Amino acid sequence: MTKKNKYYPVNRHGPVTVISLTGEIDMQTSPNAREQMLDILKKKGSLLVDLSKTKYIDSSGVASLVEGLQLAKSRKLSFALVEVSHSVNQVLQLARLDKVFPIHQTLEQALTAMGTQEQG
Amino acid sequence: MDTTNFHTIKPADLPSPPQTAIRIMRACSRKRVNNEELSSLTQNDPLLTAELLRIANSSFFSHGRSVESISRAIQVLGQRALRNLALCLSVRDALKDCVIPGFDLDLFWEDGLRRAVSARLLGRLASLDADECFTAGLLQDFGLLVLFHLFPEKGNEAVEMRKMTPSRRRNREKAIFCITHDRVVEQLAEEWQLPENLSLALGSHHKKKDEGQARSPLSRVLQGADWLNALFTVDNKKVVLSRCNMLFFKGFGLDRQKTEEYIASIPSQTEEAADALGLRIGEQEDFSDVLRSANLRLIEDNVSYQELAWRLKKTLLERDRLASELRKELKLAREVQKSLLPVSREGLPVHGINISARHLSGDFYDYFSLPDGRIIFNLGDVSGKGSHAALLMAKISSVFRCLGRVTNSPGELLERINSELCATSIRGMFVTMVAGIYSPVAGIISLANAGHPPPLLVNRNGHFKEFPAEEPPLGILPGQKFREQNVELGNGSLYIYSDGITEGRDSENQPLGIKGLLDLIKRHGNLPRQKRLVEIVKPLRERPLKDDITLLVVEMPDG
Repeated sequence: MTKKNKYYPVNRHGPVTVISLTGEIDMQTSPNAREQMLDILKKKGSLLVDLSKTKYIDSSGVASLVEGLQLAKSRKLSFALVEVSHSVNQVLQLARLDKVFPIHQTLEQALTAMGTQEQG
Repeated sequence: MDTTNFHTIKPADLPSPPQTAIRIMRACSRKRVNNEELSSLTQNDPLLTAELLRIANSSFFSHGRSVESISRAIQVLGQRALRNLALCLSVRDALKDCVIPGFDLDLFWEDGLRRAVSARLLGRLASLDADECFTAGLLQDFGLLVLFHLFPEKGNEAVEMRKMTPSRRRNREKAIFCITHDRVVEQLAEEWQLPENLSLALGSHHKKKDEGQARSPLSRVLQGADWLNALFTVDNKKVVLSRCNMLFFKGFGLDRQKTEEYIASIPSQTEEAADALGLRIGEQEDFSDVLRSANLRLIEDNVSYQELAWRLKKTLLERDRLASELRKELKLAREVQKSLLPVSREGLPVHGINISARHLSGDFYDYFSLPDGRIIFNLGDVSGKGSHAALLMAKISSVFRCLGRVTNSPGELLERINSELCATSIRGMFVTMVAGIYSPVAGIISLANAGHPPPLLVNRNGHFKEFPAEEPPLGILPGQKFREQNVELGNGSLYIYSDGITEGRDSENQPLGIKGLLDLIKRHGNLPRQKRLVEIVKPLRERPLKDDITLLVVEMPDG
């Protein structure tokens, strides 16, 4: 699979869908990540973005997260980040985007905060 | 006969034509031969004479002129025509009685005649002697008959070979006989003393352009005739029709419609020619049905060669034209964009540099003096790159120009730009920005930072201080307030940079980082502002830029 049409793994936890943005989220990959995230928000509802395996994120990647957040707000859905990797955290901290996104340490905490418990 | 290591055909293996015919051909190949000599030569053989007269009067060969005697035939039709007719008869009769198990002689002649009438049609287009083309067409695959005659045990290969395209069939010949029909017929032409142009064309009708000399017009005719015949024998008609379209377009200037008209006329002409030459062939199927099915598939795939070639050429030209237009547009857009950057003015203690990774930049900076002598400045970075980032950059720079004149504090300025951006946010795009107002009298800069990398205050002794953002970028959270920090400039310098600088690669392909930037600032600290900024970013420009780079410096006024 090429970097361009990468499919990011998705899991369902009750009403919340978890997407894991793996690898580098940059100009090349962010359009794909964006499309997948918006699609989930439109068709399935609340979205939790797992950033534990994200090696690098650039401003276009952050923009796709911002867009996801804005869409979620407009539809009264939850949107949050979880297990943010060190390199992504540096980017978010520097730009004070930690003030923008709800960020959780663990999946469990995130799901609790988003009003559900892990099913099964 | 043993086929191993068999590469040549001995003259004795070749069929010999009737003695009279060979005499006629030999006489005609001499430069000067008079008509009387030729006609008396022919009349020595009453059977041949009768045949020749019959053929010469057939509707296919007479061209509407009737001839009663050989001498009249020579007068009306010419010596060459007589020679060609004699040759056709020789070819026809040379292996008339051979029996090859599994090999259908009638089908062989049907194909031969089809090549002959095709060659005649194409010959006319190429302004060649049409009858000579006919003869050559009839002769061109005669070598194959000779080969089967020599190796009758291979006769059962004939059915499959007939279904192959000319080029594949020839490869198969190589595999089975270790020699190909064109080589055999070349030798035959020599043995029968055929004119040189004819034997050359017969020997080269399968050659590719790069094999020796250029294809003669007759050789091109024979190649076309071979493929035309294949259209009637090969299963995959689509491939052959594409090839015919290509050959006839390139060789004879025929468009697709004309090519089809020619193909459609082949079956009836083949029947006529068979009648004239007294050869027995099966009933010719109307090809329009076959053509229609082959064509339907062509239309589905849109793969007529000349159309494809033409479209490709047109598309490439169109692409080049669009690319050049786009380059012009981008150049113009970049010029407009540069005009949005402030013109560097002597005496102003602020200076900036902006280099875009692509044509257009998503970074920007601006500064201007306020009526009270203070200087307002900003540096921003739009998320993403390219034209959409550049358009947003243009919008923000004009908003900054307008609001900057009526706002007294950088925090308030960012707040107002933020609400402007949030109102029209698109695709999650945001802007990191540092805005500041410098009062040279007080020596103080008031600074606000919306998610931008921290500005650096660097003192003369090399000490530095960072001013990290306390609020997120513009365009994300409506109603956001932005705190201000006061920076005592003193005799130090405040550097504001975009992340394209710290994330850019140095000459050793390592990210420059804050440390690298500080080193460069220290190294060039004594240069005048404008020159200094150029030198600081120079190492980053040794490689293709991945991101726009922008750097702004604020210092106390000179003197």
